[in-house]
Amino acid sequence: MKLNRKPTLRRILRLVGAYRFRITVSLLLAAIAVAATLYIPILVGRAIDTIVGAGSVEFSALLPLLWRIALFAAVNGLSQWCMHLLNNRVAFRVVRDLRNCAMAHLERLPLSYLDAHAAGDSVSRIISDADQFADGLLLGFSQLFTGVLTILGTLVLMFSINYKIALTVMLLTPLSLFAARFIARRTFAMFQKQSETRGRLTAFIEEMIGSKRVVNAFAREDAATEEFNEINGDYAKFSLRAIFFSSLTNPTTRFVNALVYAAVALVGALAVIDGGLTVGILTCFLSYANQYTKPFNEISGVITELQNALACAERIFALIDAPEETPDPDAVLQNVAGRVDLDQVSFSYVPERPLIEHLDLHVAPGSRIAIVGPTGCGKTTLVNLLMRFYDVQSGTIRVDGSPITSVTRESLRANFGMVLQDTWLKAATVRENIALGNPDATEEEIIAAAKAAHADGFIRSLPQGYDTPLTDDAGVLSVGQKQLLCIARVLLCLPPMLILDEATSSIDTRTEQKIQQAFTRMMQGRTVFIVAHRLTTIKDADLILVMQDGKVVEQGDHAHLMRTGGFYAELYRSRTAQE
Amino acid sequence: MRYFRLFAPYLRGSRLRCVLAPLFKMLEAVLELFTPLVVARMIDLGIGAGDKNYVYKMVGLLALFAAVGLAFSLTAQYFAAGASVSFTQRLRSALFGRAVHLTDPQTNAVGVPTLIGRMTGDMDTVQTGVNLSLRLLLRSPFVVAGAMIMAFTVDANAAVTFAVVIPLLSLIVFGILIATIPLYDRIRSALDGVLLTARESLNGVRVLRAFRVERLLTKEFKEKNDRLTRLQEATGRISALLNPLTILLIDLAIAILIYRGAVRVDRGLLTQGAVVALYNYMAQILVELIKFANLVITITKSIACAGRIGSVLELSASQRTGSASEGDGAEAIRFDHVTFTYENAGDATLRDVNFCVRRGETVGIIGATGSGKSTLIDLIPAFYTAEQGDVFVFGKNTKDWDPASLRKKIAIVPQRSQLVKGTVRSNLLWGDPNATEAAMIEALKIAQAYDFVMEKGGLDAPVGQAGGGFSGGQRQRLCIARALVRQAELLILDDSFSALDYVTDAAVRRGISQACRDTTVVIVSQRTSSILHADQILLLEDGVCTPGTHASLMRTSSVYREIHLTQFEEEATAHEA
Repeated sequence: MKLNRKPTLRRILRLVGAYRFRITVSLLLAAIAVAATLYIPILVGRAIDTIVGAGSVEFSALLPLLWRIALFAAVNGLSQWCMHLLNNRVAFRVVRDLRNCAMAHLERLPLSYLDAHAAGDSVSRIISDADQFADGLLLGFSQLFTGVLTILGTLVLMFSINYKIALTVMLLTPLSLFAARFIARRTFAMFQKQSETRGRLTAFIEEMIGSKRVVNAFAREDAATEEFNEINGDYAKFSLRAIFFSSLTNPTTRFVNALVYAAVALVGALAVIDGGLTVGILTCFLSYANQYTKPFNEISGVITELQNALACAERIFALIDAPEETPDPDAVLQNVAGRVDLDQVSFSYVPERPLIEHLDLHVAPGSRIAIVGPTGCGKTTLVNLLMRFYDVQSGTIRVDGSPITSVTRESLRANFGMVLQDTWLKAATVRENIALGNPDATEEEIIAAAKAAHADGFIRSLPQGYDTPLTDDAGVLSVGQKQLLCIARVLLCLPPMLILDEATSSIDTRTEQKIQQAFTRMMQGRTVFIVAHRLTTIKDADLILVMQDGKVVEQGDHAHLMRTGGFYAELYRSRTAQE
Repeated sequence: MRYFRLFAPYLRGSRLRCVLAPLFKMLEAVLELFTPLVVARMIDLGIGAGDKNYVYKMVGLLALFAAVGLAFSLTAQYFAAGASVSFTQRLRSALFGRAVHLTDPQTNAVGVPTLIGRMTGDMDTVQTGVNLSLRLLLRSPFVVAGAMIMAFTVDANAAVTFAVVIPLLSLIVFGILIATIPLYDRIRSALDGVLLTARESLNGVRVLRAFRVERLLTKEFKEKNDRLTRLQEATGRISALLNPLTILLIDLAIAILIYRGAVRVDRGLLTQGAVVALYNYMAQILVELIKFANLVITITKSIACAGRIGSVLELSASQRTGSASEGDGAEAIRFDHVTFTYENAGDATLRDVNFCVRRGETVGIIGATGSGKSTLIDLIPAFYTAEQGDVFVFGKNTKDWDPASLRKKIAIVPQRSQLVKGTVRSNLLWGDPNATEAAMIEALKIAQAYDFVMEKGGLDAPVGQAGGGFSGGQRQRLCIARALVRQAELLILDDSFSALDYVTDAAVRRGISQACRDTTVVIVSQRTSSILHADQILLLEDGVCTPGTHASLMRTSSVYREIHLTQFEEEATAHEA
């Protein structure tokens, strides 16, 4: 990871800049806490020196020392407490700000970005990367600061008291670091192997349990278990290695510490016997020797965490920096009659694969346009362009004569009602879902819309009726029922133009026939774009566009197309040929 | 510990290691407890007498302690790692075996994502829990208690401080722990809420923008995010007390300990070295108590996970199954007064269904969304069993069939095309593990899958996870081929042509009807055209089944007529053209 981190660092500094006063105070408190922590063993040492032997304890010197220990303990405790509070506040708020900022940005990202990036990836940037960034960077930084200060303070104090012992500690302690580093490097490969196998195991479990029906249907339970046991065995093998070798770190560093302790005891004890050192100071040194390695171990952990935090920060910044949609003009699309014109429209998702080329289409207000053609022919792309989810690369789309790029997206979309094949529902109640496009709708209007969409019946049979909470992936509703809800949603806000993209694909023909009535009423006087493969829905259209490979290969009404006997007629006949 | 008996069998193979790991940990702890005594001796006898040789001896002893301690603790780590890994390996294998054998109602009750979670994340947490328990559960309390006991052996009078400090420290550490655990749960669910909203705004972006309510979700996100931050801060305020309070307490205790020690030394009852030893013991306690508190958190989590795993393991085969492995008679399927209600559902999905299909017949099932079609066919391979009435397949009640033998006679093309990672060949072999290459090619040809499979590299063309690398229509055709390879006596097609265009659909149908002349075929469909020529048609409406033929249903059923006519209208126009 030899990326240039400077810009990232600068941004992080700007981000936490708002909290610079708190951060400064926190660092100051950390320094006080470190000083107190280091001073207390010295006080203890001096106190022990007053306890020489029977009858010769200097209580007059001892008592003030003990009071001072209590005082510094209090100072230490108080500053640590305040420091923790400040750090928490800064860390949590920075994450919060970052998340809100990312989310607000998401709202303005073009669909081309969102379609090209897995939703899960963006979510993990907003949620877990933000968390790791705050944990690693802010708490890590404070730990790093405390650690470095403790090490430096300990060294200065030790050297000022006894350079021989100080040297012993200074030379021996890095051993424990080397040992830890050595083990970490060796275990890294094992952890990699372990997580690789874990991935394999998880994928296998997901696949087998996810398609358990098929496993049962083909009586593959035992074969699957056998295969599972093989992967499970591999996983256990790699886990054992990774766990055991990584668990060597603590005993090994403890061992080195114990050696340092013994060395300090040796050098110190000899120094006491030779004069020049007291037992109390030796005790102080011994406790330093015990504490001294701790910040080292912490620091090595913190450094990897900091690196990780930087990587996380980069991932969130990449999301926040993704270019936004072109800004909206001020003009608003109003009083739409429903005339739609496409002039020489060309569009492709990737430049190498041209999709729609020089498409001309003129739709009179109130007419019904059906778009048919095989999968991937560009039907849905047309929807994307009309709604301005994507912008055309050349040519113009006009609604009532004004180019759609000359008005706000919001006002454009307000004039389109859309039902998609992909039935997305919000995690909210049935009522809230129907009222999504029209939050001010009254209860009567909502129920009327549900009735028109033939959804009222099944909604009432739900445990809490219109108040039943829905989630996008929970299986409370069938796909067909979800589609009916989406239709009710559009029926409630009825804009002048409609887009029905396979809107009834999962509804059986009989129910479809029933809601057709509502559809017919809904389409009255509106410009409607219908994408469908059911021919009944298409047959009555004023204009049928037959698309193939992004081009309109035929257009005309049903009778005309059947007469010309082209692709449409072939499609239509093959439909009945099988019987 | 209600699950202890459930888990005990999986620990069985690691019993020795489970004893040895904590034992060696304790041996190491004993050495640690003796260290302050050695230092005290060195101070009193070595330094006090100016005896350098004694100092060398004591330092040597310290170094020896260090080396032996290392050996002990490495041994302990080895046993603990081994025991926890083998335990989880066995448990995971048992859980997987249990999970694939769960009946459908059980699977639905637990939920597939939950089941996967049990086998992955939960299992890892349990493994860590077992590993750390073996290492630290006995060691930490042992060191704390040991330090106190050693302090008492040094000087009972001064050691009274320990008896006061340890309960106080425990109170602080565990008090904060108990106060924050439920808060952390709330934080986690608040975080889940934030995550849900983020995911929602991404997955629903088209609809949200179409209805211009993007801002609504951003607002919702902000509210949830603020709530999360407030919760985190509140919890942080409590846990921020831990360090300062414990350290303060220990430091104060040290001051008191030194004072009491000093009084004893002055009276000639104690030595300077002994006071140092007491001071060292006090320092040891804190580290171990904090370790123990962290361990308690890990163990609490592990126990929660173990409980969840246990609840899946406990699910027994509640469905009655028999041992019949062969059928008899001329009947393929017979439903006898079958009424079926899903668990937790109010209304019955199937009501008093009666029909009989003879071997070699083709039966079509038609009905509206949610009329019970899928439920009806799920009863045939005994994915569910009816609580009222009986389902007979090949002459035997499904409750008397051995499920595996029954399913061997049935090939199903499910509504959702599910393939598994591997190759086309490995997927087809699911149908019949002994299928010949020629049989597989033949099946691919009938399913109209031969051409695209060859294009992708033939039978050994790779299939990605969940059928990756193939389009929806191709996956559906591969599923059809997989079922054909089985050459079963009963073929069930559950709305299996939905992703195929009309031309392919017709070709596949033709192929199947030619290849499966002697096979009993069940076709579920939403359109009458697919089942027009079936020997028998079952019309389902709100769980009520009306058997008949196309001609008889056209005469007697207005519903069927309506379905047919709405679909036939377009065909009629097509014929005219």
